[in-house]
Amino acid sequence: MPAPAEAGRAPGPPDGGWGWVVVFGAFISIGFAYAFPKGLAIFFKEIQDFFGASYSEIAWVSSIVLATTYGAGPISSILVNRYGSRPVVMFGGLLCGVGMISAAFCTSILQLYICVGFITGFGLALNLQPSVIIIGKYFLKKRPIANGLAMAGSPVMLCTLAPLNQFLFDNFGWRGSFLILGAILLNCCVAGALFRPIGPGTALVKTQVTEEGKDALKGKITTDGPMENKTEEEGEKDCFEKVNQYLDFSLFRHRGFLIYLIGNVLMFLGFFAPIVFLAPYAKHTGIDDYSAASLLSILAIVDMVARPTTGIVANSRWVRPRIQYFFSFAIAFNGACHLLCPLASSYTGLIVYSSFFGLAFGMVCAMLFETLMDLVGAARFTSAIGLVTIAECCTILLGPPIGGIIVDTFGDYKYMFIKCGAVMVLAGTFLFIMNYYNYRMLAKEEKERKAKEEDPNSLRTENEGKKNWNKDSTQDGPELEPLREKGEGLKKEMNGTNEV
Amino acid sequence: MRLANILAWLDDTNGATLAHLDLQCYSANPAMTTQDSNQTQVNSVTKMQPGHDSSGPDAATQELKPASKQNTNISEYEIVLPGVSEKNISLANPTKVELTCKLDENSNLKNPQVTWKKGSETISHTSKTQNSWTIELPHFYLCKGLEGINDHFLSFIEVGFVQQKYFVIKFGDPLAEVPVISLAGIQGLAVTEPDPRALPIIDGREKPIISYEGDIAVMVCTTVYNPKAWAWYMTNGTELVSIDKMLPVDKFRIKSPSVSINRLEVVKLTREDCGVYWCEAAFELGPSKSRFELRVLSIAAPLKPFVAVVAEVAILLTTIVLYEVYSKRKAKGQKTTRFKTVEVEIITKL
Repeated sequence: MPAPAEAGRAPGPPDGGWGWVVVFGAFISIGFAYAFPKGLAIFFKEIQDFFGASYSEIAWVSSIVLATTYGAGPISSILVNRYGSRPVVMFGGLLCGVGMISAAFCTSILQLYICVGFITGFGLALNLQPSVIIIGKYFLKKRPIANGLAMAGSPVMLCTLAPLNQFLFDNFGWRGSFLILGAILLNCCVAGALFRPIGPGTALVKTQVTEEGKDALKGKITTDGPMENKTEEEGEKDCFEKVNQYLDFSLFRHRGFLIYLIGNVLMFLGFFAPIVFLAPYAKHTGIDDYSAASLLSILAIVDMVARPTTGIVANSRWVRPRIQYFFSFAIAFNGACHLLCPLASSYTGLIVYSSFFGLAFGMVCAMLFETLMDLVGAARFTSAIGLVTIAECCTILLGPPIGGIIVDTFGDYKYMFIKCGAVMVLAGTFLFIMNYYNYRMLAKEEKERKAKEEDPNSLRTENEGKKNWNKDSTQDGPELEPLREKGEGLKKEMNGTNEV
Repeated sequence: MRLANILAWLDDTNGATLAHLDLQCYSANPAMTTQDSNQTQVNSVTKMQPGHDSSGPDAATQELKPASKQNTNISEYEIVLPGVSEKNISLANPTKVELTCKLDENSNLKNPQVTWKKGSETISHTSKTQNSWTIELPHFYLCKGLEGINDHFLSFIEVGFVQQKYFVIKFGDPLAEVPVISLAGIQGLAVTEPDPRALPIIDGREKPIISYEGDIAVMVCTTVYNPKAWAWYMTNGTELVSIDKMLPVDKFRIKSPSVSINRLEVVKLTREDCGVYWCEAAFELGPSKSRFELRVLSIAAPLKPFVAVVAEVAILLTTIVLYEVYSKRKAKGQKTTRFKTVEVEIITKL
């Protein structure tokens, strides 16, 4: 092996060191993105009284924040593709802060929609996606753990924000609270500052490209990579390619991505509704307000513990290659919990349900992005997450209102739980079956690719001829870096079933 | 003989009744008790949520007489002898109560002398048939004990027997003396404390409302009943000053989006506006108050934590940037030495 080549070789993700600091930053950032909209609910009654608005007018604020956070996903992805995670998160934190500070001076509901809804929501979107993306850049071997830890930010922040918001509200009223919350949201800038851009020097990598096969390395080159390679190999940029530079729409031809998209969009129909209706259901069965609220606390605490634990489990030797199955199992488990919920009518039963629900919820959330990274690879993950969040946006917003309509129509909460459970079991089963198929297809493609590798000439022609399909098969598939022998030198993405 | 058949008519101003009231009393005459006990009907007091109609499919309502007035609900309560029974009944609306002594058909008494007494005072019957003697309680209502006390109306009726001989009706005005009535043949009176909870509750805010100088403060009072009138008061020292009467229009605004909601808006807040405010809703049964506390903060108050947090953010950012610059310089120093080593390696290998 030529020494200069090794010295200049693209290093893999560090899997440690500064990576853990990045995980901490992502913890804060993701925590704010998920927990902040939920924490705002404390202020709504007062604001409703202040402006003389109806409950539904105030509820729109929450919906707008949620819709913007998820709907602005593609924009977030485009910006990260262009500028990297760090500037985007810092700008996002600044936007959130500005949004809430200006909300403190609002004089009408409409202004609240804009300041809290759009501006802060957009800022949170710019926080959420890049944080998840940068974890994929810093970790490979320990990525599930890193993801689990970072996603644990959501319940921890929620448990912190809820009493903090109450305290601020009792002492400063809603205007003062918004002002101070704006300052607190500026901490997202601090979290963003920790996101040191990573990636090897692209100049050194280019020399390797011609020697060792371009397709394999595409997966590991940083944001510039896909664009550079396209210009080199094709020598032309048509409109489609230009758009793909910013947002990789070719993902829609990616088998794994489509499976993930369909499965998740289905799952989100029944994901959030049970949380929204847990407390009202508890009160409906005769439990008092305080105990009903403590059910949600139990859920949050179990969730907090479940996420990192799931990360550790998912990282283990037995689960990592089959992580898609684990994810499908988690979703189906979630669904099973909901289906069994109507059987729990006593307070003890509901506590048991809350604990299991917290566990299942944490499991799914911890692996939500990990599985996507696993399917599409770190490079295309940036675009993938943008496209996935905007698709999920619709079902996330539809889920609780549909649940509400079911509750109102039947007058009974159990049908809502049955609906959520059924949808999630269906989603889990779908993902399980389709991923089984996907794993087999990937194994087949990997075998074909290995056979062709013996002959490097045919490899080159194949690349130029069937560029897109090769990109699909070689760049994707579950990454099993830890299981490959190090001696190969090339970092390829492997199909897990080959090894196991 | 049946001692009393109390029927209550309720003024159905908003359909709210709090209880059914059906009293049928029997004589303390021991000869009659065994016979009558077969016919006793003991009705349980049904407490209903206000706002609902008083129609309930229980035994009590079977005794309802068709109302002669429009929009009236009749509730009946029954008290049965022998046996100690006490009934607590709360009413949300002014109540006309009639006490009727009914002579049971199977009674052996002929032409009994029936007098209704309140204390030692005899009340004349308002209507009389061959077997029943009726008085109307409003007579008592406007009786001396209650007259002139802030138009407080009957809050509740409690009818009970104490030691089989006492027939008690309690009036629930917290401020008034509690008059009672007794029936002929019954001696003794029992007086109990009225229930202040009988007045309708209106919702206010327990925690203080916080607002800022120059801003608006809004206090919203809601109730499930429909009050007749709303009034707002401010505590000035120890006395209550009516805001309605003062009403400098540029300072206080009172709005009523619906009958059961009332809003007081205080604009252009200053420090002097701090204090306790009262919202009073006048019901037919009486006024009900709810308390608000207003605290006016200066704009500087939240600025202190705000500046503190911003300073913390700035400090952290600077630290991170500095650390990064420092570690980059260190790395650069190391990198140049590493490349030199590699070059040496290549040369030696070649």
